[in-house]
Amino acid sequence: MIDPENRAPILLEETSTPAIRTLDLAKRYGKITALRGLTMSVPRGEIFGFLGPNGAGKTTAVKLLLGLARPSGGEGWVLSAPLGDLEARRRVGYLPELFRYQEWLTAREVLALHCSLARLPRRRWADEIAGALRLVGLDRRGDSRVSTFSKGMQQRLGLGVALLGSPDLVVLDEPTSALDPVGRVEVRDIIHELKRRGATVFLNSHLLSEVEQVVDRVAVIDHGHVLALSGIADFTADTQTVRVRLTGVTASGSMPVGRFSLTPQADGWWMARGIMRDQAPDLVAALVGLGARVYAVEPGHHTLEERFLQLLKGGEHASGADYRPTDHI
Amino acid sequence: MPPVLTIARLTIFEAIRRRVVLTVFILTPIVVGLTGWGFSKLTHLSHNDGAPLSRPEVRLNEAVLLILIAFMFSVVMAIGASFLAAPALANDIESGLLLAMLPRPIRRAEVVLGKWLGLAAPLVIYAFIAGGLELEVVYAVTGYLPPGPAEAIAYIAAQSLVLLTVTLFASTRLAPMASGIIVVVLFGAGWIIGIAQTVGSTFNNHTLANAGTAFSLVFPSDGLWRGAVAALEPAVVLAEGVQYDPLAATGSPTTAYLVWAALWGAGMLAWAIYSFSRREL
Repeated sequence: MIDPENRAPILLEETSTPAIRTLDLAKRYGKITALRGLTMSVPRGEIFGFLGPNGAGKTTAVKLLLGLARPSGGEGWVLSAPLGDLEARRRVGYLPELFRYQEWLTAREVLALHCSLARLPRRRWADEIAGALRLVGLDRRGDSRVSTFSKGMQQRLGLGVALLGSPDLVVLDEPTSALDPVGRVEVRDIIHELKRRGATVFLNSHLLSEVEQVVDRVAVIDHGHVLALSGIADFTADTQTVRVRLTGVTASGSMPVGRFSLTPQADGWWMARGIMRDQAPDLVAALVGLGARVYAVEPGHHTLEERFLQLLKGGEHASGADYRPTDHI
Repeated sequence: MPPVLTIARLTIFEAIRRRVVLTVFILTPIVVGLTGWGFSKLTHLSHNDGAPLSRPEVRLNEAVLLILIAFMFSVVMAIGASFLAAPALANDIESGLLLAMLPRPIRRAEVVLGKWLGLAAPLVIYAFIAGGLELEVVYAVTGYLPPGPAEAIAYIAAQSLVLLTVTLFASTRLAPMASGIIVVVLFGAGWIIGIAQTVGSTFNNHTLANAGTAFSLVFPSDGLWRGAVAALEPAVVLAEGVQYDPLAATGSPTTAYLVWAALWGAGMLAWAIYSFSRREL
């Protein structure tokens, strides 16, 4: 599918700008505010998770980015061009959450239609279509009509459509909602492959365990504005705990170690709470002083789901994250 | 391929794959065959006293019957145009098909023009194929050919384009059923107001006549149908009945009216493009 010789030359200036940038982007439908002042920046080549509860404004934001709706306020740029720019849209692939394709066409015909709409050179169509079908596991069903496809197969087809022409930016809205576990793993692999070739992936999904495995950074929005925007490692880090795996000490419950307190966990792991990361060497020294053998030390870690729920339920901002609700990252 | 042609091709393909074309091309010869059979019986009609109809009487019957069949044909074309155009955009919006297509480098105007072209071209081609077939069969059976056969078909095709365009405009904002109903009602209203206009003109009722003229300008459907009637009326019909027949036409539409109808169609299409371009998806 990737044919570097046929890709339009990209100016250095273009590649140095973010793939997506929004500044106070807002959308109102009558009296309802769907998005209020979305300010964010997605660097090129990054896998970006765009998270939020139902009704948070995620789909509205995606529609604004793709020119499907007009902003009520603010500005935005996609691949260095203002929102809705036709030339920029040549380099964008999109899998909608509500994926529907012409059921009277075959999968191959749907892909050919999108090759035509994407203005790909005719001589590349056959390779693009064959590559897309192979990539999403539909190479044996290319000549079947979409009406005979299961929901999962239609979503695979939609993913193939989104990847036609090796786009620089791929927007995936709930890309695994209809897929079985095998399909989800395949989509993860495809997303990793997109990153390897330098594409930017804008991923919107409620399957947080899936998101956590692929994204570089996440933004969490609610009620139309950004609650947190951070690298995934920082976002899920627990800065108040350190885990250590050790032998040589025995204790039935919590164990005081210097000014710290350790709680036993499974498989030789112990958890120290109320400790800053830069105090970890002090903890290790204290443990060694007690005769313990320390095999591993790692900072505490939340799952993305835990952090997401904390953020939404507690109304807190991501601790340790580079949260800048009104600034560019 | 330019996006307009891609969308037009897709629209035609949909009509073929959904068996619209197949259905029409099966039904049309059946209906034409039945009307041909009916026309063949006209030459054998006789008066109550058993005397056969004179040649002018037969010709008058043939001409009037052909106008009635043309009216049925125009109704079929009008409803067909509405049925095809009503879901053209509305269904694609509601189903989400356009969510995958519009982020492509394609303008909303190209979608509307492509849809229009993909519906208009088959409609006009069908009008000439079916209309031509009917006239050929009538000519073969009776030897009668109206004075302006191609002109009559062109007027009916133009009328169906008016209805197609206004339905497509409605489809940018309304659900398919609402669009279809509105346009069929407008078509019917135009026809009945056209009759009222003829009655008003015949009996010097200026209010009725002016109302009819105004409506034929606001919605140039019946005005074009009157052009088809004029092209189908031989001298014998004009001599026999035009002064008293509200269904008849007193003459072809003026060039100014035809120019207005063309401008009206272009304006409606431009409005459809504007409406769809402003539509939030």
